[in-house]
Amino acid sequence: MEGNKTFGDVLQSLPKQVLYIILIVFTSVPLFFPVKVPNQPLESSIDLYANLMSVKPGETVLLASDWTNSTRGESLGQFNSVMRILMRRGVNAVIYSTGDPQAPRVAQDAIAKLNVERIAAKQPEYKRWENFVSVGFFSNGEATVNGMATSVRSSFNGKKDFAPGRGLTDVFESPILKGREKVADFPLLIVITGSKTSNITVERLSGKVPIAFAVTGVMGPETGNFYQSQQIVGFASGLKGLYDLEGLMEDGVNNPDKSGNVVVKSSKYGPIPGFPGEKNDGQGKRYYPTLHFAVGLLILAVIIGNVGMFLSRSGGRK
Amino acid sequence: MPPILTYDGIKVTFGVLATVGLYSVLYRENKFYRFFEHLFLGLAAGWTLLTIWVENLKGPWWDLMVGVAPEKAGDPGGNGNWAYIILLPVGLMGYMVFSKKHNWMSRIPIGLILGLWSGQQIQIWYNTYGKQIAGTAQPIWPTTWSSLTVPNYDTLQLSPEALAAARSQVYLSQAITNFLFLMTVVCVLSYFLFSFDAKSKLVRSASGLGRYLLMIGFGAIFGSTVLMRFTLLIDRMYFIWIEWFNNVILNRS
Repeated sequence: MEGNKTFGDVLQSLPKQVLYIILIVFTSVPLFFPVKVPNQPLESSIDLYANLMSVKPGETVLLASDWTNSTRGESLGQFNSVMRILMRRGVNAVIYSTGDPQAPRVAQDAIAKLNVERIAAKQPEYKRWENFVSVGFFSNGEATVNGMATSVRSSFNGKKDFAPGRGLTDVFESPILKGREKVADFPLLIVITGSKTSNITVERLSGKVPIAFAVTGVMGPETGNFYQSQQIVGFASGLKGLYDLEGLMEDGVNNPDKSGNVVVKSSKYGPIPGFPGEKNDGQGKRYYPTLHFAVGLLILAVIIGNVGMFLSRSGGRK
Repeated sequence: MPPILTYDGIKVTFGVLATVGLYSVLYRENKFYRFFEHLFLGLAAGWTLLTIWVENLKGPWWDLMVGVAPEKAGDPGGNGNWAYIILLPVGLMGYMVFSKKHNWMSRIPIGLILGLWSGQQIQIWYNTYGKQIAGTAQPIWPTTWSSLTVPNYDTLQLSPEALAAARSQVYLSQAITNFLFLMTVVCVLSYFLFSFDAKSKLVRSASGLGRYLLMIGFGAIFGSTVLMRFTLLIDRMYFIWIEWFNNVILNRS
């Protein structure tokens, strides 16, 4: 009977719809009021940033874009940050996907939006074919990456992308892929993923090319193993990794600001500049503070539930 | 033109409808949710079929087999190589799994795949775990007592040589961390000793501790899973409130 409910019972029997509405409020309102959360970047994020910044302008990196809108909350921001760094430094990218058929399209859409941003800021467009090629989707990630360990040319054989004025053209005719046969011909392989393609890459390409990851929060702990044993050179994990990356793009590493303060210090590297004054903020700055409110609500709900259970068990009826 | 009437505006508005439709299942099962669920599945399946043909079959197989006709003057085109047709019956055999009479044929491509897969496993295992096993061998005895904890290298004003020397030392705090790490590895491994009845009290204790350490690990992984799920929800809220309501409806982008 409703009237016989103790206070403890009431605390434990909040309708789930009420909890959902509270959760929606907690995850919506802070989005309109982004605040800066104090942050110390993880060493793994600093290593990712340092490795991205160490690629020479004009070089071409391999970029496995294995995420879709299902992990947009984390992966889109990571992709945007990585691409902004590559674009600003004049580094070319060969983009391929082994995780999901939708992934190449999603990556191209994201680059198109970044190009709109660049053109608005009077920066040169990051051009398809000249700056990046989309090799497309491979339905068998294991076989493709295994093939790449021997020959990138064989693995990408028959793949075409749009060349200006020529339509679909063999990707190896692109200037950014000229003379590149093996995976070792690329200075860095970056995997942005929401699935196990990061594992597949380490399993087959570890030791053949420097590998860096941007993974979802779920994958953070297992990716930490690869990082600790130096199978990968750096990684960003989830929203925290993204927030780190956005902060590093603003502050750099061992890089004094106008007042001479060094915001991010690391004894592993010399000064690495950031991109102050440019658009570095994105999903990280928007979502990270909001995540704190959501987690706060979760902790509160756990406390309320436990207090309710304690009161119910102790028989404290009103 | 108001943003909601542009292509992007209509696209985002439809995305919001789909998001709300899929979230409506939180209230209860309903037709609105079912519609968008089926729409999503249909789109994903259709897109996958198209992608597999365009990206995986046409260029890397069909065009190589039949050749490519020159599209304009000066275009050399490409000769076909009919040897690629051998792949077709091998692939089709996989579908024989649906035939009661001929399903033995499906074992041929499956066997090929299994063989290729098995052949990779030794290299894969070593690439995945070789370095991790080597990394498990950590010193558990300090090599210096000059400091009990690892100094903050970032604030030390040392020459590169002195910094390298300081980094190569094992401090007490590191030794304790390494010991805890090694102990965790051994205890967790002892938990998986199922092949014999462990009667030793030491092994049983280590196994019990291993079970608790595993649970701590799973708890940490679950925590990061929860954070990720929250992030996905936050992203959807951003999509609705900022990308649609603020940018499209209020036109304040």
